[in-house]
Amino acid sequence: MSIFIDRTTKVLVQGITGSEGSFWTKHMIDLGTQVVCGVTPGKEGQVVEGLPVYHSVARALRKHDVEASMIFVPPKLTKDAVFEALASGIKKIVTMADGIPLFDMVAIRQAALEHDALVIGGNTSGVISPEEAMMGSFPHWIERVYKKGNIGVMTRSGSLTNEVTAMIVKEGYGVSTLIGVGGDPVPATRFAQMLPYFEQDDETEAVVIIGELGGTMEEEVADAMMQGIFTKPLVAFLGGRTAPKGQKMGHAGAIITGGKGSVEDKIEALTKAGALVAERPSKVGLLLEQLQVKKK
Amino acid sequence: MKLYEYQVKELFVQAKIPVPNSYLIKSATEASKAFEVVGFPCVIKSQVLSGGRGKAGLIQFVTDEKKAFNEVVRLFSLPQRIPYLLIEEAVDIAQEVYASFTIDPASGQALSIVSATGGVDIETLAVNEPEKIIQTKIDMRIGLQPYQANHIAYECGFSVEVAKKFSQLLMKLYKLFVQRDCELLEINPLFITTSNELVAGDGKCSIDDNSMFRQSDITQPTDIVENEAARLANEEGIPFIQFDGDIGLMCAGAGLTTTVYDLIHYEGGSVANYLEFGGPNYKKAMKAMEICLQVESKVILIVTFGTIARADVMAEGIVDAIAKLKPNRPIVTCIRGTNEVEATEMLKKAGLTPLFDTEEAVRLAVSLAKG
Repeated sequence: MSIFIDRTTKVLVQGITGSEGSFWTKHMIDLGTQVVCGVTPGKEGQVVEGLPVYHSVARALRKHDVEASMIFVPPKLTKDAVFEALASGIKKIVTMADGIPLFDMVAIRQAALEHDALVIGGNTSGVISPEEAMMGSFPHWIERVYKKGNIGVMTRSGSLTNEVTAMIVKEGYGVSTLIGVGGDPVPATRFAQMLPYFEQDDETEAVVIIGELGGTMEEEVADAMMQGIFTKPLVAFLGGRTAPKGQKMGHAGAIITGGKGSVEDKIEALTKAGALVAERPSKVGLLLEQLQVKKK
Repeated sequence: MKLYEYQVKELFVQAKIPVPNSYLIKSATEASKAFEVVGFPCVIKSQVLSGGRGKAGLIQFVTDEKKAFNEVVRLFSLPQRIPYLLIEEAVDIAQEVYASFTIDPASGQALSIVSATGGVDIETLAVNEPEKIIQTKIDMRIGLQPYQANHIAYECGFSVEVAKKFSQLLMKLYKLFVQRDCELLEINPLFITTSNELVAGDGKCSIDDNSMFRQSDITQPTDIVENEAARLANEEGIPFIQFDGDIGLMCAGAGLTTTVYDLIHYEGGSVANYLEFGGPNYKKAMKAMEICLQVESKVILIVTFGTIARADVMAEGIVDAIAKLKPNRPIVTCIRGTNEVEATEMLKKAGLTPLFDTEEAVRLAVSLAKG
């Protein structure tokens, strides 16, 4: 079994009539994802990829059973879209937009915690279980990156994820489920929250986290390992060992603030907890072998 | 976006947070006017975004006009090009305090950090004397409550008179933090004067870039852009940072960029510039190349592994840019992701040797840079 999403998960797409929304809806369906309907205010009655479109989530739910919502709306509208999905009782949400205002992300995270919902994002490619289903924008047809296997992946990044996953596949491994928590300073769901799901998942034999400087998410993973919440082998790759201090190279989350979040601190915490940290993407597969993770 | 001290103090004034009298000058010719307005003794403060100004000698306390004028001339002629000096009255200080608001990502709340031991580097204080720091989480739906501000003030050990003033100031600072979509808003030091007045001695403010659309009255001073490359990048909205190394880096995606930056350093190379070729910029190869060519690098390294940012679109743009701009230095490409097969063909046709392995590309770029 994959985590978060599989072939039986019924997915609604918010923002389905937009160019990104319709493009990636097609690819989600092609992979095997059960997309059942879409929502765009003002567009009820239209059909996208054979799916009915509704004015609002509540109107869609009168006609369909929905477990998860995939949100393709622009950053300024994201908070409202997430609140709408949460208010309708949807507990699994992926929101992709890059550029969501900081305080909107704070509000989204708080609402997600209160609703006991998993909101993944923003600023993410989403969630994929290769050869199974996806919510997001992954070129799943590129086999040297998205091959099914037994390695769970969690990441803060987009293109770096492709880089690292390609290296894992090159070593003969594959991916069970990949969760992109996103590159914002306040992701709605953090690495450590997903660890219990990977721990429970029979398909996942080990987890790779792709982190970077800034924030404390990697340290929280180390804490979860120390507390025995996560007991499977874990390999981390962390970008930004030599990054200039105080400069943002892309992700707003990737900056050292308040004296916390340097890569050295993260390596120390993870190593102490028993994880192996790869110096380069090409070493991740070798470290999985070193931890005697089976290739399958 | 990080603001200059003088901009932060303008925000403080709007929020009715007291600041010392001051006068901003752009050249030494305005200095006498500034000294006339502010008087002596005064403090000459270089307006730069980097920290540690005091240690770097960029803040000078002066008591007479002759010395003051010499300092102004010296600071304006430094190689790092200081755009402005803030001439500020000296305050009679009884105590220095630290106060800031930021976000606590784990709890999804705002975080107030206050210390009665201000004027020092708060990060050092957090490590050495954490008991001197008061941290308070704030539910942003209801905001900072007066009882919280009151509690913090008395925890600092202030007298009743100062505590009342401090808690009011903290409420104003929080309001400003929210109104301005700040990632960080800080007063350090906050002076308590010998007559028990509170005055913001220095301020730091970083506004969330994703919220700039609703903070449009705050703009980066246009006369501060360092050079032509930075100006072009700024104009196009392309994230760009210049360093003093050899390899011009055009990279898509933040995580991949920091990784390639690391790999270049592991291989003994150095980076001349970072330019974000991902996100909406993947269609801007021509501009991106033009900017990179403005920088004195020995080789340009292009690394991508995009999904939405399609490889064929980037490759086509690069081929066009090379044909038009005729770069005077080697270009190493490692372009992968959606439609990478088409991308590879285009690059080969244009006479390039496209690579597929990031580490191989980095090694080649480093060896080309070394000549």
